[in-house]
Amino acid sequence: MNSAQLSGRGGRWVRMRMGLLCGFLAVGLGVLVATSYQLMASDGKAWRELAEQQRQRRLHVVPKRGTIYDRNGSALAITVEVPSVSLDAVELLRGVPGRDVPGVAREAANAIAEALGLDPAVVERRILEKRRFAWLKRRISEGEAVAIRALSSTESAGRRRVRGLLVEGEGQRFYPRRALGGPLLGFVAPDGEGKDGLELGLDDNLKGHVELLRGLRDRSGRLLLADGIQDERALAGHDVQLTIDQGIQFVAERELEAAVRIFEASGGSVIVVDPFTGELLALANWPGYNPNDYRTSAVEQRRNRSVSDTYEPGSSVKIFTLAVGLAHGAIAPTQRLYCEKGMMQVDNVTIRDTHPSEWLSVADVLAISSNICAAKVGLSLGGAKLYEGFRRFGFGEASGMPVPGEASGTLRPRGRPWVQVETASAAFGQGIGVTNLQMAMGVAALANGGELMEPILVRRVATATGEVVREAVPRVRRRAVSARVARTVAELMVAVTEGEGTGTEAAIEGYRVAGKTATAQKTDPRTGRYSLDDYIASFVGFVPAEKPVVAIAVMVDSPRVDHAGGNVAAPIFRRVGAMALTYYGLLPQGTKPTPVADLAQAPDPAQATYEVLRRSEGKKPPVQEVAGAGAVREGQVRVPDMTGWPAREAVRRAVELGVTPEVQGTGLLSRQVPTPGTVVSKGEKLTLVFEPAT
Amino acid sequence: MNALMRTFRVLLARSDRTGPVDQGLAAVAVALIGFGVVMVYSASVIEATIDFGDAQFYLKRQVLYALGALLLMGLFARIDYHKLRPFTYGALAVVTLLLTLSVLGFGHTGGGAARWLAVGPVHIQPSEAAKLALIIWLAYSLDKKQEQVKTFWIGVLPHLIIAGVMMLLCLKQPDFGGAVVLLALTFTMLFVAGARLHWLVLVSMGGSLAGYWLVRFRAYRWDRIMAWWDMGEHRQDLAYQPFQSVMSFGSGELTGLGLGRGLQVLYLPEAHTDFISAIIGEELGFVGILVLCTAYLLIVARGVRIALRAEDDYGSHIAFGISVLFGLQALLNMGVAMSILPTKGLTLPFVSYGGSSLLVSAVAMGILLNVSRGRETGKGNSRARGRGPEASATVVTAAGFAVSRPRPCRDPMGGAVAEEAT
Repeated sequence: MNSAQLSGRGGRWVRMRMGLLCGFLAVGLGVLVATSYQLMASDGKAWRELAEQQRQRRLHVVPKRGTIYDRNGSALAITVEVPSVSLDAVELLRGVPGRDVPGVAREAANAIAEALGLDPAVVERRILEKRRFAWLKRRISEGEAVAIRALSSTESAGRRRVRGLLVEGEGQRFYPRRALGGPLLGFVAPDGEGKDGLELGLDDNLKGHVELLRGLRDRSGRLLLADGIQDERALAGHDVQLTIDQGIQFVAERELEAAVRIFEASGGSVIVVDPFTGELLALANWPGYNPNDYRTSAVEQRRNRSVSDTYEPGSSVKIFTLAVGLAHGAIAPTQRLYCEKGMMQVDNVTIRDTHPSEWLSVADVLAISSNICAAKVGLSLGGAKLYEGFRRFGFGEASGMPVPGEASGTLRPRGRPWVQVETASAAFGQGIGVTNLQMAMGVAALANGGELMEPILVRRVATATGEVVREAVPRVRRRAVSARVARTVAELMVAVTEGEGTGTEAAIEGYRVAGKTATAQKTDPRTGRYSLDDYIASFVGFVPAEKPVVAIAVMVDSPRVDHAGGNVAAPIFRRVGAMALTYYGLLPQGTKPTPVADLAQAPDPAQATYEVLRRSEGKKPPVQEVAGAGAVREGQVRVPDMTGWPAREAVRRAVELGVTPEVQGTGLLSRQVPTPGTVVSKGEKLTLVFEPAT
Repeated sequence: MNALMRTFRVLLARSDRTGPVDQGLAAVAVALIGFGVVMVYSASVIEATIDFGDAQFYLKRQVLYALGALLLMGLFARIDYHKLRPFTYGALAVVTLLLTLSVLGFGHTGGGAARWLAVGPVHIQPSEAAKLALIIWLAYSLDKKQEQVKTFWIGVLPHLIIAGVMMLLCLKQPDFGGAVVLLALTFTMLFVAGARLHWLVLVSMGGSLAGYWLVRFRAYRWDRIMAWWDMGEHRQDLAYQPFQSVMSFGSGELTGLGLGRGLQVLYLPEAHTDFISAIIGEELGFVGILVLCTAYLLIVARGVRIALRAEDDYGSHIAFGISVLFGLQALLNMGVAMSILPTKGLTLPFVSYGGSSLLVSAVAMGILLNVSRGRETGKGNSRARGRGPEASATVVTAAGFAVSRPRPCRDPMGGAVAEEAT
């Protein structure tokens, strides 16, 4: 009944009017459905792709680079998060009316430039590019980060808030030991790529994998969700533990640098190997550099010359010539060789000895380093056998260490088998090129009983969560010579460092040292002939000769003050070797370890232990007994002069005397209060002032 | 206090309009409210986590609003819509006052506009209530004026003035969308009530000119229009929101990414309020949007049917006005989200997050449902049932009117008005 009334209402045609309006709404609905069909069903795919692009476009999260440790877990290279600031120009200008954009951009640019110390014009251009992401400044200081946060967070005095500034952590590589192992470790470029040394060689391990990360960013660029990655550390690159021992490496570098400076050399290398495992304990190069600011260093300084540079080894090769000769029965250990009185003609070349002699035992051939006798051994072996023998010691091939630019050396520089002269000169180390690493591994083979080991530099690679990815195991590359031959050569090498040998400077008191010196002329690149001034002084050896702990190869390039391997390189061997022996706690021959049981039975066990410890500490600075006024009565002591002592010694001495030491400063003792010679009562205060050694 | 009690008594007094409500319509409304709660959660979870550290921040509130909405809907479905008459001017005055207050600077600024009034922790959006108040007032006024609607001075001008004031207040906030809806509602209801077409055409031309002037010389609005027109160019700045919204719809493709799987939430500002349809599109796809459109189509269709079957002009006006309000608002909202129309702030009825919008929509739906109730036949003689003093008084006065007025069944509550007046 109602509908009838409505339609009948005096000419108003309510139904029609309602219908008309509903028609409008229906048209609207039609347009809506059609648009949504177009949008979603027809173009949906394109839109979805666009949306995915938007979400994933700026997924530039770089995983934290792994740490490099030494063999004892001390960090050599670590990555620290350092803030970097980026700009989302779209966010910055959102809601700014078109005509205000230049003004706002300028204002923001000035504020940002002031906070970061940048050029306002550059920042302004960045803003006006309207990109969603642009780096403003990477690796900013703490102060700059604070300034940026102040800009973007609150309404700072009278200035409008600058939106779209994003401070993110970015990894920066730090080398806490500074120049230690610089050329070995290499450095990392600002984009996170390892550029040299192990950083380059192990880049894949250290860098971690970006593609595993699936994350989402919201409109202000914050990382919101990262599927399946709960543990931030899982994103990090692998940690690498080297076989390098920071302590030995330090001593090797220190001694090498000292020698290079004393003898005015141009460079050098020291390699310390554990002969039984092939683990490299130290790999020192000079010159080196501090990878923390690698930009200030020259390419020359960054070269890992231990591995990448070849040199003519000279006399040190004779130990391998003899080993090959003994292995093939070309000579017998007891044989005596005639040395032609210091001159021998091979084809058109004259070979000379520095110590002309007639008949020499095999031991003396090494001890006085006779070229002629070595040549004779080589010639009696023949070129092919000598070459084959050298190859068995690893010369002429790269070991495949994970450092870039490893040289393989050259045994046949002309690419054909040796002629007679070449065989003769190769036997005493001329005309062939080797790396110091090859020398070290070769001598390690003689030290361990004839097995050529694979050099190991990386002990373990583990994920950031501690899961071991791979662990190095000692691997024998091949047997170079029999254990008997190796034993014999080792004994012959001991003669080098004893008596009249050329390497007496390498002798370490209380140990038998096996070694060989070499003083090789360098080829002058201008003339192509051997230079008269440029030498390579080297020393290879191991200690103790009977059960070696370390094999060491020392090479010093172009020393000027002296060039004999026995004078330049041998002392480095001695110091590094002595340090390593102490480090591994090997007692010198002739010292008897004191059993703990004996100490326990001593009348005063503490005192006895203390005595033993004091003996093991080696030399001590002599105590200056001072004559002074006043007699020393019961319960009194005279203060000794301890100037120049290290702190620990001085304090210990003070305690022994019965006075109470009070320490100021660090370094060596420079002043004592009361002054030396004064008589004081026991228990009184003795002020010790230390200053750093200059 | 006494007056309040009396008001409630009058409102809740039993009437003989006890027939069944339009159950289909009620079902759709309840379903949309429930659906809205789910979608609000999906669209707001990330923003809530970031801003409040509580993923359910918006969900909890929307659930409370939804419960309140259901309660209000049920309540208003029971209150005979005729009893609303005496409150017409009161509601209009209160709403206008609130609008004025929010314009005068008591507003809580959100998104650059003062659309909210802060009352303690609650933020009211008076323009939502304004729409309903305008409908009720127009229905009341047009019903009263009957044939005079055809005249300009009595039928058109007063309505335009009141609506114009409200629209100006809305524009001042600024809430352009609200003003557009108010204008459309006024036009619709005048048109249906029988206002002469040429007046309306003239007025709408004037209105269009005024609208153009308003837009053209308000820089931000004009920029918005231009950005909308040339969306690709401005996708990173002014048209960022519509562009992201369209991208959101598009990436839903046919069947959507799945509930809660939408990722445009990360990019789309106001995803849980004005742009919730974009998230629905992304997560439920074209199918979901189609179902949503069908739901609103059902609401409008049932609403218009109710309007046609209403027992008097007043009910018919109210029902039609409310139906058009729902339909228009849904259309405009989705049109904006799909960038068919330039951006204005409009909620999607029943679905968008927000107490004001949801509660007002629920009240409107309750009134519509009440209009749909039929008078149960055979129970007309209420006196016999003896319902208590108020009820009998009402019926008595109604009977009194029945003598004096030619259309007794049209206006059974006229007595209540008279009683109020005395």
